[in-house]
Amino acid sequence: MPEPRRVAVTGLGTVSCVGIGIDAFTAAVKEGRVGASEITSFDTTGFPATMACEVRDFEPGDVLERVTPDRWGPSAVFAAAAGRLAVQDADLDPASLTGMRAGTVMGTTGGEAPVIQQLTGQWLAAGLKSIDGHLVEQVPANRIATAVNHELGLTGPAQTVPSACSASNFALGYAYDLIVSGEADMMVAGGADAVNRSTHAGFLQLGALASDVCRPFDVDRSGILTGEGGVALLLEPYDVAQARGARIYAELLGYGANCDAKHMVNPDADSIAACIRLAHESAGVSPDQVDYVCAHGTGTPTNDATEVAAMRAVFPDRLPPISSIKSMIGHTMGAASGFGAAICCKALEEGFLPPTANLRTLDPALGPGVDPVPGVARPATPSVVQNHGFAFGGNNAITMFGRAA
Amino acid sequence: MTAAAAVAVPQVLPEVAPLAVTATGVVSAAGFGAGPLAEVLAGTIEPHGEPTDPDGADHPVRPVRTVAPFDRAALLGRKGTRNLDRLTQLGLLAANQAIAALPGAGLAGVRLDRTGVVVGTTTGSITTATDVGRDTLVHEKPYMVNPATFPNTVMNTCSGQIAIRHGLLGVNAAVSGGALSWLLAVRYARTALTSGRADRLLVGAVEEVTARTAWAWHLTGLLAPEAPLGEGAAFFVVEPAGGASPAAELLGCEVGYFGGAGPGLSGGLRRCIAVALQRSGLTAADVDVVVPGAGGHTRLARLERRALGAELGALPASLDVVPAVGEAYSAGGALQLAALLATTGAEERGRIGLLTSVGEDGGAGALVVRC
Repeated sequence: MPEPRRVAVTGLGTVSCVGIGIDAFTAAVKEGRVGASEITSFDTTGFPATMACEVRDFEPGDVLERVTPDRWGPSAVFAAAAGRLAVQDADLDPASLTGMRAGTVMGTTGGEAPVIQQLTGQWLAAGLKSIDGHLVEQVPANRIATAVNHELGLTGPAQTVPSACSASNFALGYAYDLIVSGEADMMVAGGADAVNRSTHAGFLQLGALASDVCRPFDVDRSGILTGEGGVALLLEPYDVAQARGARIYAELLGYGANCDAKHMVNPDADSIAACIRLAHESAGVSPDQVDYVCAHGTGTPTNDATEVAAMRAVFPDRLPPISSIKSMIGHTMGAASGFGAAICCKALEEGFLPPTANLRTLDPALGPGVDPVPGVARPATPSVVQNHGFAFGGNNAITMFGRAA
Repeated sequence: MTAAAAVAVPQVLPEVAPLAVTATGVVSAAGFGAGPLAEVLAGTIEPHGEPTDPDGADHPVRPVRTVAPFDRAALLGRKGTRNLDRLTQLGLLAANQAIAALPGAGLAGVRLDRTGVVVGTTTGSITTATDVGRDTLVHEKPYMVNPATFPNTVMNTCSGQIAIRHGLLGVNAAVSGGALSWLLAVRYARTALTSGRADRLLVGAVEEVTARTAWAWHLTGLLAPEAPLGEGAAFFVVEPAGGASPAAELLGCEVGYFGGAGPGLSGGLRRCIAVALQRSGLTAADVDVVVPGAGGHTRLARLERRALGAELGALPASLDVVPAVGEAYSAGGALQLAALLATTGAEERGRIGLLTSVGEDGGAGALVVRC
């Protein structure tokens, strides 16, 4: 058996509400900038809450070279753009990609939900026989990963992992295994989702939507803001990346994935703690080595209480600093843990801890020792960081990143 | 720094680790289980061919292959099943059947934290997605969606429900791949098992047919007019090979995207067939039966037939499942495997089957099976 390969992150691509491209995204997160605005992607008449974290000032044609936005759904366009940005960032020759054993794994929650919503509107307006067949072709969620392959000229597997709000971590974990095992020589992994009427309505109806802003860990938090965007990490074998002189942001050390198998919606602290332990085991790290946790941190009281309880089970003596970038970019659903992964890589490379924005009063009920990195980024030199993703369906996935050697 | 060229494709790839199929569950227009499926494929009984959804009268003029009406409460229990969409119900039925078919004591005594679920589904339930979407458009307060239905809009509902029902705490993944959903689920399962992330996985794929999906397919114009639209689910308990004699072994499984750069869809499918055989330690001459997947698509079926002919030479026996179970999209590949196993007689044990899948979206792939 050959030695298992290590995995380097050599490219980062982000299409987010706080900036297009990893540098703009990172700069915004470090200064704690909030990307919420009044929803424009659907008619909010009748909705008591009308804020979301929508991507603005994004012209797909500025980034995309092969994918034509009018033939793909919005999540596919986000994904393809993020993939293109990641390859540019990795300084790989685009012409060399087609011959590689390379593919794409992208996570999503809603898939092309805005397209489905549009078709639903056509159905209600004039009957099923009036729906637009060309629009139907944009519905399949697998097209989110396919769009990345199409954009980049990749001929390996294109797979979407629709494991809801931990989906990007599932995608990263699967891509990690494909590279470690030698099954692939390069993978693009991340996630994409688009703000849509059904998701906004659903979280509102569940009482989980914030009335103003998203305030994870705050005593006055009231829930999530829905968000959108696309994120892609370019993964290569570590030795290959070193040999070509690539800039290595971080090493993807490993991951853990499990299932609560109890309830579709309510998270489970024991199961999350087990997932953290799986992630540590996979990465070969012990709890005392973890310098920072990028939280699932949705901004609901249930999430915070459960996530911190799970942390205490694994880190009984010392909670690492734990912050939530959802305070700035909202809950980007299937892309959320991908954005978390991207900022983790930048935190390791540049040396900082990402902040929790909007935090006024830390919820005392969370107990002692919770350090949510309030306000703006904190200079630090983390060596090992942990990135959380939890989902409806009880699907937990946690990725671990380490500072490049 | 100048842009670097990537490493080249290795010419010969290592053989794959075979996966043992230790139990099967299948729900289709043929009925429940492998027995009725074999009979429909043999032509001795007819598949169910009437719409079953509440909007049945609104279907386009197009044949369907649907799962005959069943008693949900009797088969799945009353508790927690009322709000489950059809896709999830079909998945649960097939998954339950597979677990019940496990030899010995079933899941008793196995490590449930090392037992997981992988489900192929391209969009989750379109019924649920559009029910919630409709709620947001017809109510005076647009957010008054059904709170019991909304959580089921996530595409991992079926995999999550199967885990809840059987207490499966291990890796739990949904895989969206269009016509390739099953092949991608097999690859995901193999990776999880060979990476040591699970001991056994319940791997399957699901699809539902309603007036909404029927009109959607119909209006794309992608299906042959006479091709029936199908639904169903098939699940297989899969573990690393090496134990007692399995029902089958899943060997090489190759997929790719050939709708953009590269060798084109036909060339891509040929490449997948060739590499899947090579990585199974087999050659074209070893294939006893082919199970093509694209029969419902005129152009793709022709392309698939030519690719198989080009790679295999004289075509061996062909098992066409589409007339029996319909074009079942995400569930298609899983139903192809269920059909292959259902029609393999005791005297044919050990025969080699080759499954192929081709998608309108540019995906193609092949799976080699030792029955």
